[in-house]
Amino acid sequence: MTEVRSLATANLTKAFGGVVALDGATVTFRHGQVNALIGPNGSGKTTFFNCVTGMIRPDSGQTTYRGQDITRRAPHAIVRAGIGRTFQLCRVFPRMSALDNVLAAVRPAGLVGQLRGARARVEVDRAWGWLTRLGIEHLADVEARTMSWGQQKLLELAGVLMSDPETVLLDEPAGGVNPALLDRIGTLVRELNAEGRTFVIVEHNMDLVMSVSDHIVVFDRGRPIAEGPPSLIRTDERVLGAYLGV
Amino acid sequence: MPSASEPTTAPTAATAPAVTLARRPVGRIVPAVAVLVLAAAVLSFPSLAPNPYILSAGVVVLNYAVLSTSWNFVGGFTGYISLGHGALAGLGAYGTALLVTRAGLPSFVALAVAALLVAALAVPIGFAALRVRGASFVIVSIALVLILLLVFQSWASLTGGSRGLVVPRPFPGLLRPEHHRVFYFLFAGLLGLALLAWWLIDRSRFGLGLKAIREDEDKAEALGTPTFAYKLVVFVVSAGFTALAGGLYALWFGDLDPVFQFSILTGSYMVLMALLGGVRHLFGPVVGALVVGFALEYFKVEFGNTPLHLVATGLLLALVVLFMPDGVLPAIGGLLNRLSRPTQSSIREVTAAQLRDERAAASAAEGTRDRGDAAAATAGGRPQSTRERA
Amino acid sequence: MPSGALLFQSVILGLLLGGLYALLAAGLTLYFGIMRVVMIAHSAFLILAAYLAWWSHSRLGVDPLLSMVVTVPLFFGCGVLLQRLLLARLRPVTLTMMSVLLTFAIAVVIEGLLGYVFTGTQRRIQLGYGSASFGLFGARIAVVKLIAFGLAAVALAALYLLMKKTTFGWALRATIQHRDAARLVGIETDRVAGYGFGIGLATAAVGGTALALDTTIYPSLHWHWIGPLMAIIVVGGLGSVPGAAMAAMVLGLMQSLLQIPLGTTWAQTIFYLALFATLAFRPQGFFGGRLAQRF
Repeated sequence: MTEVRSLATANLTKAFGGVVALDGATVTFRHGQVNALIGPNGSGKTTFFNCVTGMIRPDSGQTTYRGQDITRRAPHAIVRAGIGRTFQLCRVFPRMSALDNVLAAVRPAGLVGQLRGARARVEVDRAWGWLTRLGIEHLADVEARTMSWGQQKLLELAGVLMSDPETVLLDEPAGGVNPALLDRIGTLVRELNAEGRTFVIVEHNMDLVMSVSDHIVVFDRGRPIAEGPPSLIRTDERVLGAYLGV
Repeated sequence: MPSASEPTTAPTAATAPAVTLARRPVGRIVPAVAVLVLAAAVLSFPSLAPNPYILSAGVVVLNYAVLSTSWNFVGGFTGYISLGHGALAGLGAYGTALLVTRAGLPSFVALAVAALLVAALAVPIGFAALRVRGASFVIVSIALVLILLLVFQSWASLTGGSRGLVVPRPFPGLLRPEHHRVFYFLFAGLLGLALLAWWLIDRSRFGLGLKAIREDEDKAEALGTPTFAYKLVVFVVSAGFTALAGGLYALWFGDLDPVFQFSILTGSYMVLMALLGGVRHLFGPVVGALVVGFALEYFKVEFGNTPLHLVATGLLLALVVLFMPDGVLPAIGGLLNRLSRPTQSSIREVTAAQLRDERAAASAAEGTRDRGDAAAATAGGRPQSTRERA
Repeated sequence: MPSGALLFQSVILGLLLGGLYALLAAGLTLYFGIMRVVMIAHSAFLILAAYLAWWSHSRLGVDPLLSMVVTVPLFFGCGVLLQRLLLARLRPVTLTMMSVLLTFAIAVVIEGLLGYVFTGTQRRIQLGYGSASFGLFGARIAVVKLIAFGLAAVALAALYLLMKKTTFGWALRATIQHRDAARLVGIETDRVAGYGFGIGLATAAVGGTALALDTTIYPSLHWHWIGPLMAIIVVGGLGSVPGAAMAAMVLGLMQSLLQIPLGTTWAQTIFYLALFATLAFRPQGFFGGRLAQRF
């Protein structure tokens, strides 16, 4: 499995003013596995996500996905390449219904396709399917802004999955979520992974990280300092050092 | 169906499949009836108008309606506010006039060519204005009016400058009332076309993508919407319709002056009308155009050409922005909703239940009980071995 | 080929004009930095201040410069109220767009009221020293232009010191850079934002007085100012005060030089050309401006 080329970066660097957020980060994620990206606050994890997904242009370095260079591509083109993402502070379209939120992730092909009705039966079926799978189909016609935090997180995930990404980047899926929902998200990640989706998860909740991930990359000061399976990371003294502050 | 009222119940209350079957046809009949009544009212106006002046006022209001509906392609779908659409109308007007007078094209050919030219010009303008977020767009839109005013006033050898430009009438044989009547129907036809295009986009995937941009542009992009291309396309469509309205105005009015064609005020009227009526609604700009157009004409008659109409316009715009940013149509809709359904507190319950009914009917073949599972299988597209929902 | 003296005169006039642009653009930049607001009414307030200077001179016989004693505090108060009572009410999600409309509405109201009160007639202050000028290497520089530039320079310097040297300036800069973080370290960002708007509008009072010294004014004049000013803040990089000042000097100079071959009207188009070129090729502006990428 590890031989399959997946999402990889080489010497990714990004500075905001004088603050170096990414400092030559070279990372390779494992295709078909659940990868976790952990590290102390401010270690550049979210900036890494933003650079990889094209939301921010890196100052230098390269991102490849399955052998293709995607460094300078626009975010929507990166989605098209097969990478979907959620946001740290979960983002949904506040004044759209849950169903429309999910439907908005459809990428129509061609001019004629774009002018077809947004509520075409096939698409609604797929959207409904994801809402059902995440257990929020009863909210299909509710505006997203009136939902609870947890519901919005599920909705965001449903939208991302609707665009059928091969690789899913989750930015703190456990943030602000109650334990029951946390379990459900963990189970869901494992299920979706079993169906063939690769995950990269930025997360602070170590229980979730240790229980779902196959491969962990530890970030500190804008670059990876350790990587390996959970059993190894748990005992790595560099990781402990980074978290406790040597 | 747009829903504007604040929710008054917990979202979960929507699960009850309430007694909505009987009400369902109402939801479809009401808009259809409204469209028919509106069309009948618009088309019968010329025969009811007591004199040519009232008829010409009707033409002016229709012109405003087309303009603000055209504006609403950008403003309503993407949420980008353009204060410079007046300049696009002015370009359409001068383009038409110059193609008639200088190139000798037949009036309506000139109109079509001018609209296409303006749409083509909208590509580089949109390229500069839409690459970055809202603030730059507004700045460019205002700059567009100011620069074109400058150019058309100064380039007198081509445009006639501030002496004005006379446009030959397309139907020289017609008397004045007949002239108004013909143009009234031409404007009505253009309005119908613009509304049809807006409606088509509104219900399309393209439209959903545009609305996603309005809600959260980064998020839309992260979900795979090519936001820049979407914004550019809809801006070009909007520019084309605006230019058609401007060009038709030139043919109707027959005399162009840069000060009025490239007035920042024209653009602000479009914004005010669309905003007042409700930018999320097909007929919002038309309603706004009726109200504001009538008010403007009334003001002109009552107070003449004093600077006070500026004050009134400004105050109205400020009031709408501060207190009614969603416009009157949602406000009325919410009110009607509360009146007509005293037992149900939210419009959403009905629409959610409607949707469920539709879905139940659609998946009747598979049996309603496992419709979610069947759909989920479609959605994942992959074998789902270990599904267990909490 | 224009003579050296003419060129030199144009350069001097361009720099003097650029100083005034810089002051006014600094105000616009301040609003944008604080609240991401494109303040269309800035130049309307500018013209209002010019009218008040003209009025105090022609009706009360007071030197127009003295009108600042009233207009500067008055405009400061207006700015605070504008921010606290109106702009702060708008929904954050649509703030940028709606604030444009709101300030546009204010500009239109001011224009209408000026037209109603003072009529549309063109006005000009006749000063005792209005026609005085002095020679400098063959160029003739009007004294009033120098006074106008001096006003702008002093106001800009005061603004600079306020921003860099005072506690309030520190709080204002913190609010501009990161509002939430500023709140966390105990800055009352709402109040600071209000005062920031007050200061921005006070620059319009100073600028308007300077403008009135040697310019013919009429109610719709503000449209001729807001266009160039908006171009300046975009070219300078939205949100960057030094960037705006640089852009103002450069564009003011270019405008002044282009007037020799093109005449005053066509020379104005330089602002719009610079605006379009900036947005098309370098949307973040030419002189820094961290915020610009996103707006």
